[in-house]
Amino acid sequence: MTREGSVNRSWNFGLDTWAVVAAFLLALAVRLGLLAKIPW
Amino acid sequence: MAASISIPRVEPAKAPRSLLRLIPGVLLLVVVGYAGKFLERFLNTYAKTHHWTFPNIEYVLWAILIGLVISNLFGVGEIFQPGIATYEFWLKLGIVLLGSRFVLADIRKLGGISLALVVVEISLSLLFMHALGRAFKLTPKLTSLLAVGSSICGVSAIIAAQGAIEADDEDSTFAISAILALGALALFAFPFIGHSLHLSDTVFGLWAGLGVDNTAEATATGALYSDAAGKVAVLAKTARNAMIGFVVLAYAIYWAKRGQAAGVTNKAAFLWRKFPKFVLGFLVISLLVSFHTFSKDQVTSLANLSRWAFLLTFAGVGLRTNIRQMSKQGLRPFVVGALGEILIAGLTFGLVLGANRIWGL
Repeated sequence: MTREGSVNRSWNFGLDTWAVVAAFLLALAVRLGLLAKIPW
Repeated sequence: MAASISIPRVEPAKAPRSLLRLIPGVLLLVVVGYAGKFLERFLNTYAKTHHWTFPNIEYVLWAILIGLVISNLFGVGEIFQPGIATYEFWLKLGIVLLGSRFVLADIRKLGGISLALVVVEISLSLLFMHALGRAFKLTPKLTSLLAVGSSICGVSAIIAAQGAIEADDEDSTFAISAILALGALALFAFPFIGHSLHLSDTVFGLWAGLGVDNTAEATATGALYSDAAGKVAVLAKTARNAMIGFVVLAYAIYWAKRGQAAGVTNKAAFLWRKFPKFVLGFLVISLLVSFHTFSKDQVTSLANLSRWAFLLTFAGVGLRTNIRQMSKQGLRPFVVGALGEILIAGLTFGLVLGANRIWGL
């Protein structure tokens, strides 16, 4: 691990952001009916 | 840093090659997670058809146990490591999508109660951990890391604080090992205590969200108790995660004043950088659901997508827990962590019971 500003920042910001983007893309796909009903 | 402690180091993929490196580990998460789900269903059906009395063991526990067996008995090859580290991504994706299972009124009530309890919990936890750190003569920065890890949100908080207070890598490794080992113990201890005391789903969920440190373990602990408890545990843990920036900022200023860390020039930017963005995603999804942007079937689909994402997370929790490596990390930080955790578990339990009496959860 490195000091603030390199790995830490990109890890924290990058991962969260990608997760939010992926969740919204999935939500949009569900809303537009592009994803069939997801079973569990 | 010991590789098998597997501090998540998921960085945004810079090239298709980086994405390709994730495939083996992600496939392993899918296989282990699905095996857990399959085992739950298979054993229940088998027990029913053969008229056996067999306890219903949730897929969560199976997924974690299979992961633990693979990582501790057979070892996980290097080729799988980058993909396994994505369990944090699945966790956060699952949390954002879980927003679909809360309408704003739930968040206002339970989230408000959680936030109030979180403030008390964080203040008392920090005090406890510092007193214990002094009593056991741990280095002040290791004590700070353990205090941040056990009061807020485990590994993420330690990583965030490590950069801000310029702690040694060795100190963070100790703190992370202690938090992960204790999280693994809490996974089994909390549901056992909860069932023994016949706690309601809401009370148990709040307790798990406030008392278990790492977000993945808190989510798994809640889900091990029940689906409803898992949902509440994530909400309480999310409220706790939202406080990360404030506590890390306070530590950064403290260590900067002592001349042992760089000063913080722009506090608002610092808070935004440390703020877990998935909390906002969770709130926006919940807002959209509250305003009926999705049909009932679509909400069910979003909730199920969240469950699938959590399934991969639970597989990752087992796969990245290496008991032998953790035991090598030294006893004192572990003892301090363990004592602190027991105190914090007791304290949060008292807080939740108090809240239950006041607000009737």
